[in-house]
Amino acid sequence: MTGVKRNLALAGVAAVALAGGAAHAKDIVLKMAVPDWPPTRIMQDLANEKYKAPSGNNVKLEADFIPWPNYYERLAASLTSGEKKYQMAVSDSQWLGAFVEGGYYMKINQFIDNDPEWQEIFNDLHPNLVAAYSTYPHKSENYYGFPQMPDVLIVYYRSDVFCHEDEQKAYMEKYGKKLPCTGEEMDDVDWDQVRSFGEFFMRKKGEMLAGAPADDDFFGIAYQAGKAYDFNIMQVNAFIWQHGADIWDETKAPQGQAEGVVNSPEAVKALEHYLSLLQYMPPVVKTGTMDIFKQDELFREGKIAYMIQWIGFGESTISPATSKVHDKVAFAQHPGLRGADGKIIRWANIGGQPFVLTTWNSDEITQESLAFCKWWLSPEIQTEFAKRGGQSGRRSVYERPDYVTFRPWNRTWAPALDWQKDVWHVPDFFELLVQSQEEYDKAITGQQDAKTTMDNIAAFQQRLLTEAGLIE
Amino acid sequence: MSTLVSPALPQAPRPAPRIALWMVLGAILGALVVMVGALFLLPPAVGWWVALAGCAGAAILAVAYAWERHNYGPLLVAPALALLFLLNIFPLMWSFGLSFFAFRANRLAPPRFVGLENYVGVLSDPVVWERLQTTALAVVLTVSLQMVVGFLLALLFEKQFPGRRYLLILVLTPMMLSFVAVGAFFRYYYEPTFGLLSQFVRIFTGQPFILLDTPAGAMAGIIFADAWMWSPFVMLLVLAGLVSVPKYLYEAAEIDRASWWRRFRTITFPYIRGLLLLALLFRTIEAFKLFDVVFLLTEGGPGTSTETIAVYVYRLAFQYFRTSQSAALAYIILFIVIVLTNLYLYFVNRRAREA
Repeated sequence: MTGVKRNLALAGVAAVALAGGAAHAKDIVLKMAVPDWPPTRIMQDLANEKYKAPSGNNVKLEADFIPWPNYYERLAASLTSGEKKYQMAVSDSQWLGAFVEGGYYMKINQFIDNDPEWQEIFNDLHPNLVAAYSTYPHKSENYYGFPQMPDVLIVYYRSDVFCHEDEQKAYMEKYGKKLPCTGEEMDDVDWDQVRSFGEFFMRKKGEMLAGAPADDDFFGIAYQAGKAYDFNIMQVNAFIWQHGADIWDETKAPQGQAEGVVNSPEAVKALEHYLSLLQYMPPVVKTGTMDIFKQDELFREGKIAYMIQWIGFGESTISPATSKVHDKVAFAQHPGLRGADGKIIRWANIGGQPFVLTTWNSDEITQESLAFCKWWLSPEIQTEFAKRGGQSGRRSVYERPDYVTFRPWNRTWAPALDWQKDVWHVPDFFELLVQSQEEYDKAITGQQDAKTTMDNIAAFQQRLLTEAGLIE
Repeated sequence: MSTLVSPALPQAPRPAPRIALWMVLGAILGALVVMVGALFLLPPAVGWWVALAGCAGAAILAVAYAWERHNYGPLLVAPALALLFLLNIFPLMWSFGLSFFAFRANRLAPPRFVGLENYVGVLSDPVVWERLQTTALAVVLTVSLQMVVGFLLALLFEKQFPGRRYLLILVLTPMMLSFVAVGAFFRYYYEPTFGLLSQFVRIFTGQPFILLDTPAGAMAGIIFADAWMWSPFVMLLVLAGLVSVPKYLYEAAEIDRASWWRRFRTITFPYIRGLLLLALLFRTIEAFKLFDVVFLLTEGGPGTSTETIAVYVYRLAFQYFRTSQSAALAYIILFIVIVLTNLYLYFVNRRAREA
């Protein structure tokens, strides 16, 4: 190559590079509505630190952190007002139907179908997560969301109390069984044993607890029994499914009925089972305000021996800054009903959220949003997220041998995923939800029995869903 | 003054106004036609701007009309009126119109005219009647309690005593707190495990006290919280009435050896009656809209035993997204409040005439 030619070529390369640079280096902000809690905070931090858009654009994630208790109203207000403020949103899976029917959430099938990388990601995600977080109608092939923070119910228990030798001895004397101490022992616990924990660990102030007088009343167990939002149905559903009953199944619409299914004898028995354990919980349960936040607070204050809670609350429980029991807590799988074969049936209601794309964005923004989601779901970032306290739904990530070492509760994660089901995704979910919550609350506060409760719920659902055309 | 000076000043003859009244009226009428036409016929994105342009055109003509005639008073009031219309009256009318359509804000289907169906639906809904009964109970209880406590407090603060000023500020504080703070505060106050109330009762009974576990207890908790917050308001109004009673009347009564009860009935009460009714009116209207404390304290529970109509409207509008139905219910509530208000005003006026 002559000198001139080489210079020309160099100039050409430089020109292309310059032109390319000028054409691509655009500043793009992706505004995302998110609930304010650690999993979304970690996402924002990771995006700030590590995200570089493959397009070469200068893409920034701007998460709008909204407190959990009024997240639904704030997001719904923004979407329905038509202000088109958000390019993406973290959405509870139950909201999919309501906001898809409103035309706010974008269908993503076409992007998955045409992109082998997306197909690889979706094949790698646990199918229960895809069904819960992506599909509307529920369990159909229509995809709308990607998992942001998958969440499941697990057991938090006080290792100092359960493993104390005095307690071990006393429990053995009373029940003729070993009091579980290690996580593996606690995994193999059914509801009957949970009841025994409840009975066994109810202590009055001053009574001996783990070798010392209790400085305040101490309670055996706690799970959700709150009237607000979904703070009792999420736990009641676990009992319903474990007892072999079912909630109204939208995948069978419009033939599937509510009457006869929702109030089946098994469902009534399931609710009775749920109600029978409430007596071993802190007295606040009688007021119908034992929500996930109350449970969390009581556990961190050191007043509860055994609690069923979302995995997402783990971080604040093991932090010395926020928890009195940070060094005394261990984790295990959600309990269940022991079947005839001795195996435990652990069906539980899935928590967690997908994120979705909104429909009003330009193609460029849509592409950037998809690129961001792909980055988020990449194995490196998912691993990093898990290392900082989040959870990954990708098999290749949660099956890594070191995954269980990231956090003490991670050993419960993979087995839990197989046992997850979700509530309805239909647009009318909030009416179904509020009415169920109210009826369960009446049962929890002792105003009506399980049979009446289930009959009321079934009758209401039959009427509402028939009106909505979902039951024929 | 000006009539004396003006002949001496050279004054240019006023130019004849170029804009006549019929033009302005015509423009307003035209704007209305344009607005209705644009909103119904054009796609929303364009229709809004055309309607707005029509309004702006008529407004500019009206301003020019007033300006030419040096009629500045209305011009100065106009911005405030425009703001009131835009932010208050227009949405009110809009939602009133909406209450005759079937519409859900989170669905794509456009509004469909259904006449009075929403009103019929709401009025024949047993849930609405249940919530109205709950609300009525709450209103009667909380307002009575506030009137009694407020009145007693006012009698106390009418007297001069050391530290009165500081105590008065303290007593007025609840009224100035935000609803959310009060709700959160009482939630902890009633909490059975570490709440103050429970701890206090436990001294005597040895058992934690759970106030909110029964419908009656939950109602009592809400009433107490609301009365705690708003009794000072009643006190302020009554106190204003009490200090306006001329001292000589009491002195004369004392000379006549009138009993305390007679002094109260014939001197004090007539002076504060109007203000008492005003307090009653304000508090009833407010209590009818009782929402915050209920929502924060019990979420309407246990079950639905403390769910007021305001909470139900909120659920209809923002959780169920039955937008037009919630508008209909809101207008029914507005109607009830207006009737109540007028009843009060009628009584006040009748008493005033009698006096």
